[in-house]
Amino acid sequence: MSQFHSHRKLEDHVFMEIAGIEFEDFEVGQVFEHRPGRTFTAEENRQHTFRSADLFARTADAEYNHKVYGGENVISETLVLSAVTAMTTKTFNKVVANLGWTDVKLPTPVKAGDTIYAESELLDKRESRSRPAQAVLHVRTRAVNQDGLEVCSFERKLLIYKRGLGPYEDAGY
Amino acid sequence: MAELAYASHVQIGEKRFRERYGLDFEDFQVGQIFKHRPGLTITQQDNLEESFDTLNQAMIHFDAHYASKTEWKKPLVVSTLTLQRLIGMTWKTFFKKMRILGWSALNMTAPVFGGDTLYAETEIMAKEDVEGDAACGKLTVETRGMNQDGKLVCVMGYDLLVYKRDAVPFEGVNY
Repeated sequence: MSQFHSHRKLEDHVFMEIAGIEFEDFEVGQVFEHRPGRTFTAEENRQHTFRSADLFARTADAEYNHKVYGGENVISETLVLSAVTAMTTKTFNKVVANLGWTDVKLPTPVKAGDTIYAESELLDKRESRSRPAQAVLHVRTRAVNQDGLEVCSFERKLLIYKRGLGPYEDAGY
Repeated sequence: MAELAYASHVQIGEKRFRERYGLDFEDFQVGQIFKHRPGLTITQQDNLEESFDTLNQAMIHFDAHYASKTEWKKPLVVSTLTLQRLIGMTWKTFFKKMRILGWSALNMTAPVFGGDTLYAETEIMAKEDVEGDAACGKLTVETRGMNQDGKLVCVMGYDLLVYKRDAVPFEGVNY
């Protein structure tokens, strides 16, 4: 049990699913464990690389990867960063837009078959100076693999709506 | 006639050439700027698939009705999709990349929407040898993404390892 909720009551016996913690309910120092974890495969890595118009030989050519690197399928750094960021989108669902990332580290390569788990700590929160209906969160996210080794960490700033000032009701949310 | 630079092929016989893109670590110099081509148009379908492939639950990316009620009016492209595409588009210059070490900063400077076309360019900010790594050197670069109107949409600074000339793993594997 916690003070955060997954549904709001519309009327007796009728509930609508909601997601995301409100700006006002975040407190510096809170840590959120994101679930589910996520397993990576060689095939999705291939598809993501090709869809990015990237001809990286180690990904495109299994024979080359076998001869030069012993055949180990390493997941592209950009896909890892994308997946870890995406894993945070339930807790930070009131997002307006991402502003930017800093200090993105990739201490351990992610390989095909690995499963990662992410968590985020709230470092800071403040109201936006230029956008009165919105606020800025500063978070640190880190992800570990199935053996507990850190595979990715970063800090990120994102804009979120303040309570009652998002487009949710308007959009049927 | 334009002055040309850097080999795209290696000659392996009298009339036989093999494609071999990418600069060696030694070829890079601080201050160089590389304009990557071709550009790439991102569609809302790409955006949708990226959201689902990565389990992204932010509906601004895939609920167009919700998006119409926001200041953006249309679904926003996932920031990290833009990032993946921009880095992918750099492959001709960085084909001899070993891996990316990390990003120092990554800023989204303007929204990207389905239908936008991205162009990337990369500036070499620093290069250095890596202690204990004879095969690769480290480049610090800034890759910038522009849309079809020339508006800057993304700026990222990152470090990558690039193979040195004598260590590029292309010999003996038909590359």
